[in-house]
Amino acid sequence: MNLFQYVSENFNNILGLFVEHFFLFLVSLIVTTIIGVTLSIIATDEGREKVGQVILSITGAAQAVPSIAVIALVFIYVGIGKFPAIISLIIYSLVPVMFNATSGILSVPKGVIEAGKGMGLTKKQILWKLKIPIAIPVIMGGIRSAATIIIGTAVIASVIGGGGLGDLVFTGLKLNRPEALIAGAASSAILAIIIDRILAYVEKIITPKGLKVEQ
Amino acid sequence: MSSDTSKTENTKAKNTEEQNKEKAKENTIELKNVTKRFGKDVAVDNLSLGVEKGTLTMLIGPSGCGKTTTMKMINRLVQLDEGEIKLNGTSVYDIDPVQLRRTIGYVIQEIGLFPHFTVFDNIATVPRLLKWDENKIKKRVEEVLDMVTLDSSYAYRYPLQLSGGEKQRVGLARALGADPEVLLMDEPFGAIDPINRLKLHDSFLEIQDEIKKTIVFVTHDINEAIKLGDKIAIIKDGKLVQHADSTEILYNPANQFVESLLGQDRSLKALTLKRTKDFTSKENVFTVDKDTSQDNVLKQLQKKNEVIAFVLDKNEKLVGRYWLETGKKGKVEINYDKNPIMTEQNNTLNESLSNMFSSGEQILPVVNRRGKFLGVIRLSYIFDEFNK
Ligand SMILES: Nc1ncnc2c1ncn2[C@@H]1O[C@H](COP(=O)(O)OP(=O)(O)OP(=O)(O)O)[C@@H](O)[C@H]1O
Ligand SMILES: [Mg+2]
Repeated sequence: MNLFQYVSENFNNILGLFVEHFFLFLVSLIVTTIIGVTLSIIATDEGREKVGQVILSITGAAQAVPSIAVIALVFIYVGIGKFPAIISLIIYSLVPVMFNATSGILSVPKGVIEAGKGMGLTKKQILWKLKIPIAIPVIMGGIRSAATIIIGTAVIASVIGGGGLGDLVFTGLKLNRPEALIAGAASSAILAIIIDRILAYVEKIITPKGLKVEQ
Repeated sequence: MSSDTSKTENTKAKNTEEQNKEKAKENTIELKNVTKRFGKDVAVDNLSLGVEKGTLTMLIGPSGCGKTTTMKMINRLVQLDEGEIKLNGTSVYDIDPVQLRRTIGYVIQEIGLFPHFTVFDNIATVPRLLKWDENKIKKRVEEVLDMVTLDSSYAYRYPLQLSGGEKQRVGLARALGADPEVLLMDEPFGAIDPINRLKLHDSFLEIQDEIKKTIVFVTHDINEAIKLGDKIAIIKDGKLVQHADSTEILYNPANQFVESLLGQDRSLKALTLKRTKDFTSKENVFTVDKDTSQDNVLKQLQKKNEVIAFVLDKNEKLVGRYWLETGKKGKVEINYDKNPIMTEQNNTLNESLSNMFSSGEQILPVVNRRGKFLGVIRLSYIFDEFNK
C-alpha cells in the first residue's frame, strides 16, 4: 500500500489526530509562555539580576537534556495519560522560553532602564513600557523555538498516552507500516511549519518599529 | 579614634559657617553633611554643597571619587546614609521619589534614549507622565527640538537613525521636555568626539543663557569644567576639596591636588575663562547679501579698500566668504569660499586661537549655534588679552 492510498483511506482518522495534536500543542504553548515569561520577569527584577544569571546558566545547560528523559521522569512521578503528557511538554519547553525571555530582558541596555527610572517611570512602567517591548524580538524567538519543540516532542509523548500524531508514528513502528509512520511524521512537520509562519507574523507585528529601522 | 571625631566636628563647624554666609542667597539645591557608604567603603564623605538658583555647578574629580553617587542622591536613585538634601528648602525625602524625578531633568553618559520610541515620544515621556495635554506636548517638543538645533523632521525618527551628536542633543531635549527647574547631567558629552563636543558645549551654553536652569553637571574634563561652569566643585575620595568659581580655582587652587588637576599650561588656561563673544566686533567688517553678484562685490570691496566680504543669507546666516588676492601681475582676483572657517560665540579664546592657528587665518567670523553671523574676532584682540 502506498502513502497516498493510506492517507486517503484513513483521512478522517489522521485529521482527528492532527487536531488532537494541535490542541496538545496549543495548551502547552500557552501555559509554558505564561509561566516562563512570568518567572523570567520575576528573576530579572531590579536587584535580582543574579538570579537571572543563574537561570541563564541552568536553562542553557538544560537544553542538552533529551526530551525522552523528561517524558520518562514525568511518567514515573505523574503517570500516564493526556495530563502527564502536557506536563512533560510544558516542562521541556519552559527551557527555551525562559532562556530567551531572561536573556532578552537582561540585555535591555542599562542606560535605558537607568534613564527611565531617573525620569520618574514607576517599576511597572519600566517593565511594560521599556523592558518587555525592547526584549520582544528575543522573547518571541524563545516562544517560536518552544512551539517547534512542543510539536516534535508531542509525537514522542504519545508513548505515555498523550495521543495525537505520535499514535500514527508508533503504530507504524509496531506494525511495520512505513506509510503510517511517514504520514504521522510529515503531518507533524507540516503543523510545525504552519505554526512557525504564524508566529513569525505575530513577531513582526508586535516588534516595535524603532527596533527594526535601518541604522 | 578620638582625634578623628574631633576632625569631623571641625569640618562640620566650618561647613555650617559657610552655609550661614550663603543662607541669604537661598540655594535651589542644598547638600548638608551628606555621607554614603557601600558596605564599608565610603563613597561620599560628609559633603556639603549648595547650588544657587539658575547656576551651573560642575562636579569634577578622579574616577571613583563619588561624583555620580553625589548626583544620584539628589534624585534619590541612591539613598543617602547620613545628612540632608534639600530642593528649594524641602527635603527630597519628603517628596515621593517618582514625583521628585519627574520634576528633575536627567541626562546620563549612555544617553539611554528609548530605542523603540520616536524622538517625539522620547521627549514627550515626562510630559505624558505628568498628563500634559497632547497639544501642549506637541508644541513643547517642537520648542525643545529647535532649542537643540534639530529641525522638526527629527521628531519622527528613531534613535537608531541618529548620529552620536544628534543622540546627545535629543538626550538633552528629553531632559528639558517637561521644563524642569533642575537638571542633573552625568558626563552628558563624555562619549563624543572632540569636534562635536565643542559644538555641543557652545549650543549648551547658549541654551543655558536662555533658560537659566539650576544644573549639576558631572565631568572628568577640567577644560569642560572651566568652560561651562559658573561654579566648580572639586571632589577627591568623596570629600569636597574646593568649591568656587573658575577664576578663583585657576588663580587660587586650594591645594596641590587642585593644581595637578589644572595641569601645566595655566596661562593658556586663563584664556579659557574668556569667551569669544566678548571679543567679537563688527567694526570694519564688510558683509554682503547672498544675491549680490561677484562683480558687484569686487567693486564694493575695492571702493572701501577691504579684502574680505562675508556673505549672509536673509536670516543673517553666514553662508560664504569672498576675499581679494593680488596675482603675479599685480592683477586683483576675487575668490569665493562656500565653507568658510568660523568659530562659535561661546568658544573660549583658547579654542578660537587654535582655530586660527589651524586655518592660518587672522580674522575669523563668529556665529551662534544656528550659524547666525555676529561679527569677527581678530588675532590681535587675543594677543592684547594674553599680554595683560
Ligand atoms: N551600587 C554600588 N555598589 C557598590 N559600590 C558602588 C556602587 N556605586 C558606586 N560604588 C562605589 O562608590 C565609589 C564612587 O562611585 P561613583 O560612581 O560615584 O564615582 P564617580 O566619581 O562617578 O566615578 P567615574 O568618574 O568613574 O564615573 C566607587 O568606589 C564605586 O566603586
Ligand atoms: Mg560616574
